[in-house]
Amino acid sequence: MAVITICREPGSLGEEVAARVAGRLGFSLVDKTRLAQLSGEMDLDEAGLRKVDEAIAGQCRQIDAETEACARLLQDLIAQLAEEQDLVVIGRGAQGLFRDRPGTLHVRFIAPRKFRILQVRTHERLSEREAGRLIKSLETERARYLRFLYHLNQADPNLYDLTLRMDRLSIEQALKLIVTALDEMGLRQVPRDRIVKDLLPQMPEKRDSGRFANAAEKEFARFLEFYRIPFEYEPRTFPLETDAQGRITEAFTPDFYLPEQNLYIELTTMKQSLVTRKNRKVRKLRRLYPEVNIRIFYQRDFYNLLAKYGLLAGKLGANES
Amino acid sequence: MNHKSNDIVEILITQEAIQRRIVEMGTEIAAAYQDCLPLLVGVLKGCILFMSDLVKHIEIPLQMDFIAVMSYGGMHLPSGAARITKDLDCLIEGRDVLLVEGIIDTGMTAGYLLRNLEARQPRSIRVCTFLDKEARRIVKIPIAFRGFNIPDRFVVGYGLDFRQLYRNLPYIGVLSDAITGLDRN
Repeated sequence: MAVITICREPGSLGEEVAARVAGRLGFSLVDKTRLAQLSGEMDLDEAGLRKVDEAIAGQCRQIDAETEACARLLQDLIAQLAEEQDLVVIGRGAQGLFRDRPGTLHVRFIAPRKFRILQVRTHERLSEREAGRLIKSLETERARYLRFLYHLNQADPNLYDLTLRMDRLSIEQALKLIVTALDEMGLRQVPRDRIVKDLLPQMPEKRDSGRFANAAEKEFARFLEFYRIPFEYEPRTFPLETDAQGRITEAFTPDFYLPEQNLYIELTTMKQSLVTRKNRKVRKLRRLYPEVNIRIFYQRDFYNLLAKYGLLAGKLGANES
Repeated sequence: MNHKSNDIVEILITQEAIQRRIVEMGTEIAAAYQDCLPLLVGVLKGCILFMSDLVKHIEIPLQMDFIAVMSYGGMHLPSGAARITKDLDCLIEGRDVLLVEGIIDTGMTAGYLLRNLEARQPRSIRVCTFLDKEARRIVKIPIAFRGFNIPDRFVVGYGLDFRQLYRNLPYIGVLSDAITGLDRN
């Protein structure tokens, strides 16, 4: 299995090559369109995605918790896809998510500014000035995205296995170079679980006490508080796997613990079919810790709860009585 | 009011099945409380049709009272904490209390009421529910008398509502996702 990450300067034909690579290799292409389709499953539509991008591109230091949670959920979505398919991932900080992972190839597309302006002008039908402005804006946005998520500098050459200068290569030549690199490095022979194991801990976490990861957790906490159900937020991390030296290599931290019910609750706003990785962790937890009671609230569970109390689409709903 | 036929996508429990079960439950409850004077506390508003039919088949002396709790999402916004909006008219200290619910889902309301009523030191307190929907149970509720276990469907009728509507349906029906807003998900 393999994951190819694509970082591209705007106008350097990175998307075009990525699409061809995915087609040639039979990999799944993860671009903005695909992510928008999939993120709809987690209640983040295209407008929501744009909002996340704009917020991060605009002001890295003052991102609100919900935007940050959405950005993290997108990373989780990509990680879950990687559990199941070979991928070509365009942008989205994927070179940070899969940094130093076996079975991955990180490619960066560059070209002189003049070349890129010409590409953008042709593609977007813009004037030279407008193309220049668009390029500048995209460069800033992409750089900030990677810095926000992983504190990485997009221009750091050490992040990439291949850097392709597209004013000197045709699309076909670039495609061949990528496929050759993939084969020469034996990346397709790497077992999938070596690539995806503990992907998300790569992302530096920023947790302030009392803040929830997303709106769903906030709503659920409010719900518990309303009925005066004592709870703790992420009070315990369960080690799931350790290496030979006893270091923890995989762990799971359920969202809520209700001490009076002796019950852990993990909330996910994704559809049950998309939370393979989470399900696997919960199954492992139940096997290793049979005395621990844990329930996952999937997207449908959560929406049913909201609908019941009239909080879905702003309608008044039923009382439990 | 006129119910549009496409609001209810399925009748889960028919009127006939409801009445048959209620007769059985009445007999069970009468047997359990034959040596005492139970106080049936109905949880408004969902219990109304159930309790009204149930008590007719509990052929022992009993007393009734009602209690209501503001639910999460009541008054349009979830804020503050649950509170009793209609309290009991009588004291329950030393009494044998049977809490009568229309449906127990997450268990939040029943759990809140049990804590509240247990603090008033009844001699005993048990729970009777017409419908038990365990799929999203968060608070475990010991249910002494149960009408039906139901699957994870959005049900209305026989006292149960959505937007305070559909309580007057004589059966338990599954409400269309288009009404609840679940269709967009």
